[in-house]
Amino acid sequence: MKARILARADVLKIVDLLRQQGYEVVAPFCGRGRDTYFDTVTDQNRDQVQIHLPNPYYPPKRFVFPHIERLLKLRRDNGEIHIEPTYEEPKRAIFGIRSCDVAGIYHLDRFYLGRDFRDVYYENHRKNLFLVNVACTDPSQDISDDCFCVCTDTGPAAHNHFDLQLMDLGYEFMAVAGTPVGEALFTDPIFKKATEAHVGKRRAILDETRKRFKTMTSWFSATVRYVSQGEILDKTWEEIGNRCLECGGCTYVCPACTCFTVSDRQIGPNEFERVRAWDACALGGFTRMAGGFNPRKAVHDRRNRRFFRKLAHHFIQRELTMACVGCGRCVAVCHGNIGMPTVVEMVRRATTEVDNEHPSH
Amino acid sequence: MSTPVTENVYLPKTAILERVVCEIPEVKTFYWRFQDPAEQETFHRFRPGQFAQVSLFGVGEFPTSLPPSPTEDETFFTVRQVGSCTSALHRLSPGDQFAVRGPYGNGFPMEEYHGKNLVFVAGGIGLIPLRSCIVYALQNRLRYQRIQIFHGAKTPKELMYVSNLHEWEQTPGVECHLTVDRATDGWKGNVGVVGSLFKKRGVQVPVDNTIAFVCGPPVMFRFVIKDLLGMGFQERNIVSTLERYMKCGVGKCGHCCIGVAYVCVDGPVFTYEQIKKLGEDI
Repeated sequence: MKARILARADVLKIVDLLRQQGYEVVAPFCGRGRDTYFDTVTDQNRDQVQIHLPNPYYPPKRFVFPHIERLLKLRRDNGEIHIEPTYEEPKRAIFGIRSCDVAGIYHLDRFYLGRDFRDVYYENHRKNLFLVNVACTDPSQDISDDCFCVCTDTGPAAHNHFDLQLMDLGYEFMAVAGTPVGEALFTDPIFKKATEAHVGKRRAILDETRKRFKTMTSWFSATVRYVSQGEILDKTWEEIGNRCLECGGCTYVCPACTCFTVSDRQIGPNEFERVRAWDACALGGFTRMAGGFNPRKAVHDRRNRRFFRKLAHHFIQRELTMACVGCGRCVAVCHGNIGMPTVVEMVRRATTEVDNEHPSH
Repeated sequence: MSTPVTENVYLPKTAILERVVCEIPEVKTFYWRFQDPAEQETFHRFRPGQFAQVSLFGVGEFPTSLPPSPTEDETFFTVRQVGSCTSALHRLSPGDQFAVRGPYGNGFPMEEYHGKNLVFVAGGIGLIPLRSCIVYALQNRLRYQRIQIFHGAKTPKELMYVSNLHEWEQTPGVECHLTVDRATDGWKGNVGVVGSLFKKRGVQVPVDNTIAFVCGPPVMFRFVIKDLLGMGFQERNIVSTLERYMKCGVGKCGHCCIGVAYVCVDGPVFTYEQIKKLGEDI
């Protein structure tokens, strides 16, 4: 991978370059208080684009998998049904996407574009997407108490799957190209040659940053093993389930959740649109069939499924990525405090208890 | 708008309803064909046990089994009226349009069963997905050994596919046994649950080299499985199809995910051995 150096003052010029190339650039901005969000860059707000800031709760996933998206238009004329698919193929760049969210988008790639069926709507959003990853290096801004990407091996600096990666080296930034499209930007004079010293500095900063993570769930891989082998007791799932308020918040902020529901709604006389919208396995109706039969009634059963789907080895092997990228958003939004690290901790505690009761286990 | 390279798996194709036949109360069979003959031809290569997604204008989409065998000419669905989509289908008249996409799912591996005895156990509308296999097996009669059909319903009026049942009862080399929970309308046959047929005099269910197909309501399923295991059936030789709420049919929407399986792509056909491992109510 090729690396270049650019001056701090030139970083936002990357946004300008991309906009000149016809990209709609979305970038992170600060709202009030802790609130941060991704928005389209315009001439007016361009200078407010933030490099270091808390990662927005509403993940950039929506730029490849919109929260609500039209799939088809259905029209009826004299009894004849006409079905017309609607496609959106934006040329979009996400500037300042965090490493965890890059891993999230890669997971979605593997999920929607892998296996027997490809999702054309996802593909259309994805094919012209340009990702400018900013590595998290500022412990006071980028890294929150809830982040645990060091445990999922997705951060603080993404290894791949970005077009361009920026890292703050102090008064300068290092830019690393991940794809030929990203490398093509290096022809611009703002990019200067990087030296060995720069590379060494990058390494030193990353080493230092890794030590600043507060949530160190070293039991993460052990939990993957326990979940995959079905060794977690029903009691533990019940304990986790009892704390779930069934709000679905964790799935809506998750950069790697893929489930959706589909419904038809009226848009005119004799005209309907079929839309898909994010759905959440925490909700009771998620598996309820017509006629009322619901194979998953208890909430702990639903929690069990969510964590099983995210952590089971079977799915990790199938997608070659894990459906948890360590962003910590579920920790921040969960009122019942059963975000991923808490679940890992509860599994660890339960397992340790079993071991204490049955030392030979 | 431009043409995408990838085929749109969510795009249903318009179909025309040709005729409707009442099977039992609330259950009708809908004979239909695609408006585009090429579409019909592609669709018709389905395997027994697969399913399709049916779109009703202004209402939505639902998954349903394919009761015809690919060896038959006509395509049809047999659907019970339970929710908004199925009710909308029940309101359609011949000539009306709706839309279909599919076929989806793994289907029964009928080739793997060559040279084996086939035992079909269907409770109520559980005969709908099994009808496809039964007709397929009868069309390829020489490839299979003994064929037994056990079908149970609440009352004689609720026996499914009556004309097919009569035909199968008359077919040499097919043992077709029927039972009802409550004998009405001068029913002379067996009274009792499906499992009671296994113990009936003159009935001998082969266990070795046999595949048992079981479909029906959850209670019936549990009891029949118990009976079959008691007779010495191996778990991997009992197959069934699972039903789940699903939106996409292509392994993306996540609603039908149980255990390590997405019912729509990894199923809906599973062996009892697999079903047990998935660990969810049937």
